[in-house]
Amino acid sequence: MDGSLVEFFRTAPIPPEVFSPSLGLIILLPLLGAFVCGVFGKWLGRANVHLVACSAIAGAFVLSLLAFWATSDAAGGRVVSMVNPFGLERDTIRYAIAHDYGTWFAAGDFRVNFGLLVDHLSGILLLIITGVGFLIHLYSTSYMEHDDGYWRFFAYLNLFVAAMLTLVMADNLVLLFVGWEGVGMASYLLIGFWYTDSAKAWAGRKAFVTNRIGDFAFLIATFLLILTVGAFNRQADARDYNAAGSSRARYEQGISQRGPVTFKGLEKMALALPEGTGGAVSLATPIESGPLAGYTFGGVMTAALLLFLLGAAGKSAQLPLYVWLPDAMAGPTPVSALIHAATMVTAGVYLFCRMSSLLVLSPTAMATIAIVGALTSLLAALIAFAQDDIKKVLAYSTVSQLGIMFMGVGMGVFWAAAMHLMTHAFFKACLFLGAGSVMHGNGDETDIKKLGGLWKEMKWTHATFLISTLAITGIFPFMSGFFSKDAIFHGVHHNHLHGLEWVSTFVYVMGLLITASTAFYMSRVYLLTFTGKRSKEAKLAHAHESAWHMTLPLVILAFLAFVTFVYALPLMPRTGGGMQPVFENFLSPVLRPAEAVARAAETVHLDTSTPAVGDYFFAWLVALSGGAAAAFAYLKFFPSRVGQPVPAFARAVRRTAVNKFYVDELYEFIIIRPVKFTAFILFRVVDALVIDTVLVRGTAYVTEKVGLGLRRLQTGDAQAYAAIMALAILGGAVYALLQVLS
Amino acid sequence: MVPITYYLLLAAALFCMGMFGVLVRTNALVVFMCVELMLNAVNLTFLAFARMHGNSVGHVSAFFVIAVAAAEAAIGLAIVIAVFRSRGSVNVDDIRTMKH
Repeated sequence: MDGSLVEFFRTAPIPPEVFSPSLGLIILLPLLGAFVCGVFGKWLGRANVHLVACSAIAGAFVLSLLAFWATSDAAGGRVVSMVNPFGLERDTIRYAIAHDYGTWFAAGDFRVNFGLLVDHLSGILLLIITGVGFLIHLYSTSYMEHDDGYWRFFAYLNLFVAAMLTLVMADNLVLLFVGWEGVGMASYLLIGFWYTDSAKAWAGRKAFVTNRIGDFAFLIATFLLILTVGAFNRQADARDYNAAGSSRARYEQGISQRGPVTFKGLEKMALALPEGTGGAVSLATPIESGPLAGYTFGGVMTAALLLFLLGAAGKSAQLPLYVWLPDAMAGPTPVSALIHAATMVTAGVYLFCRMSSLLVLSPTAMATIAIVGALTSLLAALIAFAQDDIKKVLAYSTVSQLGIMFMGVGMGVFWAAAMHLMTHAFFKACLFLGAGSVMHGNGDETDIKKLGGLWKEMKWTHATFLISTLAITGIFPFMSGFFSKDAIFHGVHHNHLHGLEWVSTFVYVMGLLITASTAFYMSRVYLLTFTGKRSKEAKLAHAHESAWHMTLPLVILAFLAFVTFVYALPLMPRTGGGMQPVFENFLSPVLRPAEAVARAAETVHLDTSTPAVGDYFFAWLVALSGGAAAAFAYLKFFPSRVGQPVPAFARAVRRTAVNKFYVDELYEFIIIRPVKFTAFILFRVVDALVIDTVLVRGTAYVTEKVGLGLRRLQTGDAQAYAAIMALAILGGAVYALLQVLS
Repeated sequence: MVPITYYLLLAAALFCMGMFGVLVRTNALVVFMCVELMLNAVNLTFLAFARMHGNSVGHVSAFFVIAVAAAEAAIGLAIVIAVFRSRGSVNVDDIRTMKH
């Protein structure tokens, strides 16, 4: 490449140190948009609300672009860097910009700062959130054109974007939790957007309550980490701090200035914990004092990470908390695309990538994450086999793809998980928006059995849906989804958790099954919706193609879903020889501490090989087999048997899958019923009997009866009252006299 | 000089007479006069102590009591007249409507 062009891309338009104080604007713009749309939206009118909402996100996108550019700034060969507040002066964080807006709150020696950090990981997410977010806003202007609640819709959507940006830019766990809750609330508001339909309102409540279980675990895990950091600081000696590239003075200064739960501080602790440092603290060291006294650092870390897994399972729809996501499709389709496919549900994956250095300390937690991901992914894929609602299929597909990301995170291939997060954001958003376009053009019909033959009538929707389907399934290899998924499965196969070597094989085999299943159900959706003849049960005789507001985002997303495969190609030199994938190279500044910890603690063996052509071919064959099975079943087998009964085997499979493996019924039986029963008992015994009857009515009853008795004393005879007063005074005088005399 | 004991005994006697009148007499006007008697017994005590200590704190209190007694007499007599107009009697035994 031309030298001057390279220099152009390496020089941020606004220098990092100038730009970093403006990081807060990225959050502030959508928040302002939400405020304007929510408060004045009714008076502003439809077109103005569209303008405000879209331009707020567009502004945030431009700022994100500048921020992203600034994190890659290397003007004149000097890489952008900042001093690590928890490390020695010479220990700098490269490829990151940050700004600390000061104390948010403090209590005793605990404090939380409003600090924002953008590095390559959060930079990528910023671009996805604001970029895909803008396309979806644009799409919504057309999709919601007939809805009276447009101003509410755009206010919620902007609020969601603001919360999600807070989540990814937060430099500490507490601020991340603010975004975490914010996206949960926005998701609740948007799922129940059409709240007059009670089923949709219930779907919102289900999502909220399920997420709340996860959030509770998240909070407990945060508290555990705060206590662990305190214990570490009391027990660590100079060698521990030395191993982490810090010193006691610097680390304590960092904690007193930035608080105990910043990611950079936790990273330093993770670097100090492996056995090999020779310091006073290692994973097997028991904590000496405080509420966790007696437990080892490693044990507490595993417990905290497992709790984080539960939290992430709530947000990212994994077992056992995935049940809310399919129901969340009750919301408008752009919401499903933005929140429940591209951004919010990947928060769990982001959290684990952000805390990768802590995660590699605990093979147990990693194995659990990988297995949970694999089981969720396969279960969701199997359920997706028989769903007839196009959005439900895509929802289960999202659960399945998130499971794949969890497998990657759990086995230590963080870069591949993050890359799949990105490619999934593109192709799944495209698929959801395509589904929305199909619904928009077919009178809100979602049943794929009642569609069909749309390829002629909806050319743009068809083309983009096809590209995204090929990307997610990997049937045509040169697509982003094939490469990102294959990168995960390759890493899963070759990484090993010490003491739990069997997990690699297990998860890899599950991965192959998932690949074939994904190809099957996605091909099924595509074939039934777009090919063949138009169904006789269709609502409208002819579908119509959507407006450019809707097709343009589809085209852009499909293009991105196609081209991002280049990031998985091994084009960059690896330190120590060989080549590595572009995306791994790109994320290496963020993930290097995790690699260092894994090497020192010897908990995980991180493989660095790249897949060979044979590996790719095998993965392609697996995907192709799933697609071929779907093509055979839905192009040849079922159409040729019209009028004949379906084989018993297919019926049995279908019945179980349609009923979603009875998971909702199981939860109903083991959780919801007992909770409802307990609530009923509490209502009857505690509320109705103890509080209402004994305490409230009892107080009134006793007061009344005592009053009835006492009023007999009120005779109305003033002289009798005076006599009593005189006697009382006499009594008092006698008492005083006795006191004086004795 | 007359010892303070005599003053106090005289005041106590006046107070007891007043109280006795308040408790047993039935004519509201007489009850009123007995209340005045009690107040003046207290005044006498105040002044006796003031004289003993040689300062004027007791005088101040006595003036307050006189002011309060005047106000009380004005309002009390007004009430008595109002009661007499509406009931034709000032016998306290007959005024017993303020009961359960």
